[in-house]
Amino acid sequence: MSVAQLESHEIQLSAPSGGLWADAWSRLRRNPGAITGAFIVLSFVVLAVFAPLIAPYSPKKVNLDALGASCCPGPSSQHWLGVDQLGRDELSRIVYGARYSLVIGLVAVAAGLSIGLVLGAVSGYFGGYTDSVIMRCMDVMLAIPGLLLAIGVVAALGPGLWQIMIAVGITNVPVFARLLRGSVLQQREQDFVLAARSVGVRKRTILFGHILPNSMSPLIVGATLAMATAIIDVAGLGFLGLGPQDPGTPEWGTMLTQVDLYLQSAPFLAIAPGIAIVLLVLGFNLIGDGLREALDPKLRGRTGKFKAAKTAEQALDEVHTEAYSIDSEMVPR
Amino acid sequence: MLRFIVRRLLMLIPILFGVSILVFLWIRLLPGSPAEALLGERATPQSIAQIRHQYGLDQPLYIQYWRYLVETVGHLNLGTSIKTFRPVTEELQQRFPATVELAIAAMIFAVSFGVPLGFLAAKKYGSAFDHGSLLASLIGISIPIFFLGLILKYIFSVRLHWLPSIGREDVLAIRSHPTNFYIVDAIINGDPEALWDTIKHLILPAIALGSIPLAIIARITRASVLDVQNEDYVRTARAKGLPPHEVDSRHVLRNAMLPITTIVGLQTGLLLSGAVLTETVFAWPGVGSWLKDAIFDRDYPVLQGGILFLAIVFVFVNLIVDISYAILNPRIRLS
Repeated sequence: MSVAQLESHEIQLSAPSGGLWADAWSRLRRNPGAITGAFIVLSFVVLAVFAPLIAPYSPKKVNLDALGASCCPGPSSQHWLGVDQLGRDELSRIVYGARYSLVIGLVAVAAGLSIGLVLGAVSGYFGGYTDSVIMRCMDVMLAIPGLLLAIGVVAALGPGLWQIMIAVGITNVPVFARLLRGSVLQQREQDFVLAARSVGVRKRTILFGHILPNSMSPLIVGATLAMATAIIDVAGLGFLGLGPQDPGTPEWGTMLTQVDLYLQSAPFLAIAPGIAIVLLVLGFNLIGDGLREALDPKLRGRTGKFKAAKTAEQALDEVHTEAYSIDSEMVPR
Repeated sequence: MLRFIVRRLLMLIPILFGVSILVFLWIRLLPGSPAEALLGERATPQSIAQIRHQYGLDQPLYIQYWRYLVETVGHLNLGTSIKTFRPVTEELQQRFPATVELAIAAMIFAVSFGVPLGFLAAKKYGSAFDHGSLLASLIGISIPIFFLGLILKYIFSVRLHWLPSIGREDVLAIRSHPTNFYIVDAIINGDPEALWDTIKHLILPAIALGSIPLAIIARITRASVLDVQNEDYVRTARAKGLPPHEVDSRHVLRNAMLPITTIVGLQTGLLLSGAVLTETVFAWPGVGSWLKDAIFDRDYPVLQGGILFLAIVFVFVNLIVDISYAILNPRIRLS
């Protein structure tokens, strides 16, 4: 494409109309992936909220009569997804399970986000000694494999719902701290910060009033994608037997723990909760991807061909920042 | 370059020091003590006190930490497992090769499918294949490893009986393992049957573990190729009449490889640091499942040594990635 073509194309493109958020919203709405993701997540939210109305049976009620001769009767007209080894209705357990995954994921991400946000903002804005100390601590946390760290926290606190939330939240702290620090560092050098400083705005106001609001978009994208990872991690901890200790709790990961024994006779017991996890996680990933595209200020008002080049550049940026973030000494020229 | 490497190595020291303190304090926060875990219900106050004394657990914390540090750094001695009474280093020698073998197999799977997939998607940008591969890679990163493992096990072991579902080799096999890398061992022993057996055991766990790296590599490859394709030098190469496959191999792929190598390196670091879930699903005797069990058994020496070891591996792999990145990319300025 020639320069003239490029320019004419750029002129033709509608200039961004509203603010960043209005603009992002309008682009998000036109992204089929993000819409699908939102639809999936909303469906699960509806399932979770109205679980008692939707689920045909109680998720915890043991019904050995439903088992019949062997374990376990597959899908039928009474039990759409079959029954598990204790005769509990699988569909009802999946429906109620949505509550656990969504709430645990949300709390874990919120906890990790709030602590990481403070650490990252302080680190990025004040720099120097504070920055080094905080970031070295984050490095230490990142040097321990995430799932092992989470398992370790659960082991220290004892298994259970709250403990899982804390564990997954803690593993999220360094991720958000780094993300926000990088973002703040970038914003700190912007002209509007210089302008604010030159007219004598106080440090705190600059940080909270100018820098943080402008650092929000990567954080929103990060939080959405972290929801996806958190749900997987929570299910993983549940699968390892570290989840809620009441075996009746219909947590999806915990439901997968026992299925190894019944894989031969009742594969649907593995498939149903697994698919539920995949769908919910996919939903969050789709929204996250859509948000990333929609919130990129460089993409404002652009669509079509530019988007392709942009996504490529973005992905590259990601790899680069990942590589650089390991070491701040490496600066791209 | 040398100065850069030395500086980076020095920077690792405080991190590893921090990890050792963190691990040391954290496992002492665990409820219950190794004495109780070891003795179970037979524990009497006397026997607990005796075991605590034997392992120095009745000393003040800082003395315990100092002794641990001297032993680890000074004598490269990670202690003895409280459960199996074997030296931790000895168990590591047996288990780490299992993890490495699995990680390498998973990475080979991920790269050999991920790179061509991403490349084709970029070449056919905007086509149904492109959209399909994007969606597939998104689904790939959305599948929990243990679920994929269960499904693979169900299809290929339970249903089709094609592949074994657990372990590294046939349980009845009696073979010598000089290196503990079973594939290498089979080649050293000149035993094709053992080699085939080992490979069969590797396939399913490698696919399960490699699925997420595959999806990530495919995405990065696609993005990177798309980016490079629009560069001036590619247009120049085309304009001077280079055949398309030459343009692709000599200009596009070579330049696109940079971010791909980085991501492969970082992912390898993650895989080496223990595939707890995959190892659990496939009863793979690697480091991940070992440490998971150690947490439940309150096996302090195993936890301390094992996690410290994994952290060392992880930061070193990342360092190697950084260095190779600096070598591969002359545009990086080292200050």
